[in-house]
Amino acid sequence: MRRSVAARLMRERLDPADVVVCGLGSTARAWREQNAPHPTYYASDPMGMAPALALGLALARPDRRIVLLEGDGDLAMNLGVLITIAGAAPANLRVAVFINDRYETGGGQPLPNAGRISYVTLAAGAGWPWTGEAHDEAQATRLFAALLELPQLGLVAVHVDAEESPYPPGPGPTSQAEDRALFQRRLSDER
Amino acid sequence: MSGDGPANAERIVAALLDARIEIAASLPDSWLSPLIERLSGEPKIRHIRVTREDDGAGVCAGASLGGKRAVLVCQNAGLLLSANALAGYAHHHQLPFLVLAVYRGSYEDRFYYQMYKGLVTEPVLEALRIPFHVVDRIEDVAIVEDAVREASLARRPVVVLLRRAALLGDAKAS
Repeated sequence: MRRSVAARLMRERLDPADVVVCGLGSTARAWREQNAPHPTYYASDPMGMAPALALGLALARPDRRIVLLEGDGDLAMNLGVLITIAGAAPANLRVAVFINDRYETGGGQPLPNAGRISYVTLAAGAGWPWTGEAHDEAQATRLFAALLELPQLGLVAVHVDAEESPYPPGPGPTSQAEDRALFQRRLSDER
Repeated sequence: MSGDGPANAERIVAALLDARIEIAASLPDSWLSPLIERLSGEPKIRHIRVTREDDGAGVCAGASLGGKRAVLVCQNAGLLLSANALAGYAHHHQLPFLVLAVYRGSYEDRFYYQMYKGLVTEPVLEALRIPFHVVDRIEDVAIVEDAVREASLARRPVVVLLRRAALLGDAKAS
């Protein structure tokens, strides 16, 4: 499954009120290409921090459901966060991990032990109450729907194709701090 | 841990409440035990236990993103580990939060393995351009509220380094 398909399947199943946090790299580019209407915070650098950031946002805004779209390279940098999130267990946080076993933006180098890592096993072992693993479009369709119907914390690991994800041609019109301010203004206006 | 620890923890948590802190992330140090115990029992602050200090920085940044004031409570080794996270949230995202870090490795300490932390903490924070303030005595705890305001105005984390005496008073070293 192409990662753009996985991103589309998620977009089609999100509630209009959902808030998205997106880890850096190819997952972020796949989500940006969706032009989804949902408020989205692109966590950017520092690498490895998106899950903790999403946890903090979920704690601060219990009135909104936070959906983290994460890449396996970003998550592998900081697996301990699976324990931190399971301990906090915010009922309004859902996670989808896009797995391509590569550092796509860095040039497609393999992750350590690529292809033999089970993120659902890691999450379950860290105490996550619900996990699912999708290898194709049919499974992703079913599991994304199940994830979003949960009343509690959950994680879906979705396997996507390894495909190039080159850097965008330029930095874009706004800095991270400006994007942060725009995101905060939108969340505030939607109260 | 006894001595003045519980009383000082009470005053620190009162200062956090005065500063309208609502979310705390912590990773323990023995000198922080009374403070973390007090935090965990404070109903007005959501206390999260983290596995690494930079996770705590991320949690606080996310809380700040969502409009809440947050504090990371950790040892100064956690500041060293979190250098990239602190710099990223300070200068890239520009998200404010407070860090209360115990200042290990200085004149109050009694362990070889703590001393390097005391040597490098302040130079590292200076290099990261993260504002910091050292609190020697609990009587100066009001700086917590000032530091939270400073963080908010500067749009970056601000660190308050707590000496042993500020946390534990005259308790025996451990």
